[in-house]
Amino acid sequence: MKSIIIGGGKIGFNLLKTLKDRGYNVTLVEIDEEVCRKIAEDVDTDVICGDGTNLDVLNDAGIRNADIIAAVTGKDEENLVICQIAKKGFNIGKSIARINNPKNVPMFKALGVDQTVCSTEVIADLIEYEFDSDICKIVQTFDRGAMILVEVTVKEGNRWINQYVKDLPLPSECVIASVMRGENAIFARGDTQIQNGDNIHIITNRATFHEIKKQLHNGGTQYAKQKK
Amino acid sequence: MYIIIIGCGRLGSTLAAELADAGYNVAVIDNDSKKLDALGSGFNGLRVKGIVYDNSALKEANISRATCVVAVTPDDNLNITASLIAKNIFKVRRVIARINDPSKKDVYKVLDIETINPTELISYIIKSKIEGDPK
Repeated sequence: MKSIIIGGGKIGFNLLKTLKDRGYNVTLVEIDEEVCRKIAEDVDTDVICGDGTNLDVLNDAGIRNADIIAAVTGKDEENLVICQIAKKGFNIGKSIARINNPKNVPMFKALGVDQTVCSTEVIADLIEYEFDSDICKIVQTFDRGAMILVEVTVKEGNRWINQYVKDLPLPSECVIASVMRGENAIFARGDTQIQNGDNIHIITNRATFHEIKKQLHNGGTQYAKQKK
Repeated sequence: MYIIIIGCGRLGSTLAAELADAGYNVAVIDNDSKKLDALGSGFNGLRVKGIVYDNSALKEANISRATCVVAVTPDDNLNITASLIAKNIFKVRRVIARINDPSKKDVYKVLDIETINPTELISYIIKSKIEGDPK
């Protein structure tokens, strides 16, 4: 599969290395000569120095035979123009654009860019997810951390809502001690149903705690999708 | 007739002043407020400061009412992006863009954007002036 990456910044460079490792035929286009030279020294691939929005440069990069084009420069307008050229001028099946300003996402979609990745939004979501520690926090540690008591606050969008305790996909090294529903403490059994607003107390260890956290968010990106 | 001018450099500001004097309704968008100020108090059109292809800037300039959009920034990619948005999203009837780098002419053509090419025009004028000189 032949792919072209436009933009040799951090994202472009790492994408190049990843695709190269997977055995793709990759050509990189970058406007800065110095950057081109560094990349060419580092990675054994075709590097073309030129403006990625110029038809001659894209022709040199072999756009006519390309299957995928990834526009990952730091300028949204540049990425948009590249994807539009690829689509309308060369009929490339797949074009992916990096979007720097999240405000531009709807505009890219409306103009028919197949795939967009908003780097700023992805990072912001991940940070937000890290900040969302109130969903899942350690209340008490026992025996110098061998055992911990964790409180999970169930909010809208939590996949545990309406599930029975016996059906929760929990790792083996944990026990649900109690569920606080308003003022009431419920000593949960298998037939207790989780509701929105519940505070669940779980006895577990640190390793399992991370597993539970991951399960609740599924790595942040999943969480970001759910939010929309 | 309502005309939006994108880019308030030498060409944009001159065009804005002339069209406004000729009695057209004019709006100018630029991301540099100093350039918008330079239009002077005599300019009675709308001035919008913002990223030139940004949805909120275009809406503030009332793009849905525009009969014509002219993209004359010194950056071809900005002109192309703004033109595509005006044409394909806001369905503006007439969109004209300025070509800065003559080698980008084909890009505008592929994307079906009406253009003016100042470099070509000026060199044509100079050439005909020289040719018009008595030998």
